[in-house]
Amino acid sequence: MFSARLLPGFFVSLLLAACGPSERMETIYAQRCLGCHGTSGRGDGPIAPSLPVGVPDFRETVRARNVFQIRKVIKEGKGIMPAFSPALGNPEVQDMVRMVRVVSQQGREIAWWEKFEPLVWAHCSVPWEFVLGYDQPPQEKGP
Amino acid sequence: MKKIFVSSVVWVVALLVGALTLASSHEPKHPVAEKAAPRRQVQVPIKDFSLTDHTGTPFRFSSMRGKVVLVAFVYTTCPDVCPLITASMQSVQRSLNGRERESVRFLSITTDPEIDSPEILKSYAGRYEVDLSNWSFLTGDLKTLQPVWKAFGVKVERKARGLVNHTALTALIDGGGTMRFAYFGASPDPQKVLQDIRALLARP
Repeated sequence: MFSARLLPGFFVSLLLAACGPSERMETIYAQRCLGCHGTSGRGDGPIAPSLPVGVPDFRETVRARNVFQIRKVIKEGKGIMPAFSPALGNPEVQDMVRMVRVVSQQGREIAWWEKFEPLVWAHCSVPWEFVLGYDQPPQEKGP
Repeated sequence: MKKIFVSSVVWVVALLVGALTLASSHEPKHPVAEKAAPRRQVQVPIKDFSLTDHTGTPFRFSSMRGKVVLVAFVYTTCPDVCPLITASMQSVQRSLNGRERESVRFLSITTDPEIDSPEILKSYAGRYEVDLSNWSFLTGDLKTLQPVWKAFGVKVERKARGLVNHTALTALIDGGGTMRFAYFGASPDPQKVLQDIRALLARP
């Protein structure tokens, strides 16, 4: 049986296991990105043909860029792409970054190490300070 | 020792499940349907109003008297119809000849004052590379904007921060301040709008 010492690890493991594309990630992509970028990231969304400029296939650009570069484009916009930073907080922007990474991996052969990229995301999403008790207030000593 | 082994197994399994879940394919929901922009001839006098433009300068609608004005309702973080409306207006602006440009003004009025400050509107115009010589992007506080939206028959519903449902209206105003044409939908046809502008310039 699990001992009390194993319980935190078990819950953290469950948390990591649940770190797939969340409902929130999919919703934010559907609400803010899909119209132009399409379900696959090819730039074939329903309004893309009516735009005055072509929507780039972001699968390759996302693959070639690091997280900070992707986040910058999402926050500051590019060309006619909206700048989302005035409206979205860091968690939502992070969700968008994660979702475009996931979408960019669909339907192509991904390197073995890319399969484990979600682990990095999952690791970064865990509130470690809370889990490990760093932000717990010091216990007051009795009289 | 056994406990450490069990703990390690739980961690490894959970990590693998998490990785495979995230790496698997996903189909985001509901595509946004593109809307047509039907054109209607109307006669709606628009009362004067005051807003603030993208430079932070006060703007009065009555200062547009004598000009043909193309007005649209958009917001800068809009991911669907607004880019199409702004692009369509830009196409109209670029098609005007030198003499027409002096008699025509373009106004983009925000439907999201919570986000769209003058600075953000200016940055939006910059990304579109809009010629701002006869185009103003307007904002104001909610109380000031509500009567303006109402005057044009634009319904605005805030869904979330930076996400607003609004009537996709582009309106053409004559020199006397009366709305004469209303284009509803995502992509007003620039050729038809241009034709209507020229008709109003010829027969105000």
